[in-house]
Amino acid sequence: MAASTSSSSVSSPGVTERRGIPATSFVEDVETYLKQSGLDVNSSLSFLQERLQQYKIVEMKLLAQQRDLQAKIPDIEKCLDIVATLLAKKGTGEALIADFEVSEGIYSRARIEDTDSVCLWLGANVMLEYSCEEAKTLLQKNLENARASLEVLVADLQFLRDQVTITQVTTARVYNWDVHQRRIRQAAKET
Amino acid sequence: MQQGEGAEAQVTWEDQQNINKFGRLNNRFHELEDEIKVAKEANESLEDASNELILSDEDVVRFQIGEVFAHMPREEVESRLEKMKEDASKELERLEEEKESVLAQMAELKKILYGKFKDSINLEED
Repeated sequence: MAASTSSSSVSSPGVTERRGIPATSFVEDVETYLKQSGLDVNSSLSFLQERLQQYKIVEMKLLAQQRDLQAKIPDIEKCLDIVATLLAKKGTGEALIADFEVSEGIYSRARIEDTDSVCLWLGANVMLEYSCEEAKTLLQKNLENARASLEVLVADLQFLRDQVTITQVTTARVYNWDVHQRRIRQAAKET
Repeated sequence: MQQGEGAEAQVTWEDQQNINKFGRLNNRFHELEDEIKVAKEANESLEDASNELILSDEDVVRFQIGEVFAHMPREEVESRLEKMKEDASKELERLEEEKESVLAQMAELKKILYGKFKDSINLEED
């Protein structure tokens, strides 16, 4: 039963890490794995648990980053909407009349004349004036970057979750192998 | 996943990859459920807005763009709403289709994994 035909007990899918997240190697055969690592079952199980905890910490961090990006994207889209509306109004000579929130629950009316420029909040208490066209280009670039970052982040999370699943399965297999061994020893004693 | 009672079936790399894939699909399924809920609410809001617009007889409507309410002629608001409703409904359809596909793939994987591991594996929601 333990005579496995594979030459090594640990096979790697070819990826050892992804953007700082270490990959966990797949265990082909539990017995060979335990012999090679020189650990007994309990130490092996705690090592795997520790790994799991480390992965969980990284997962929390990535999920927080994902939430931030997911909040940022609709904000950028709203800004683009306004700039597009202003650009559309430009030729007409009409002013844009808008009701805006002065304070919570209090609104006031603003008259936005035909304008060539808008100010963009760049963060860190900095606001910069741009022409409408430049603003549109900048916002679109920011939107694309945010979407691309989100894609990479989602792929990172998938990779991480795979490593967590592999670690969980390995834990179960080591545990089961131990239970099996105990049963065999028990049966041997009784005969 | 539960721990089996000294399972005999060996877990190969292919099995592990199937298990990983099932995990990914399950996560995606839950994300989709949330996204579908949001999309449905968006569709309803737009429908309500459309109905309110029909009922009201104002010529100038305050339409929300970003954080402000811009004064817009009724026709423009109508056409904008129509476009938004169309986009929202397409988005909902796309999400529902993806959900169906994910469920189908999960069912396939369940067949394969239960076939090999029977009681030693648990792929149900707890």
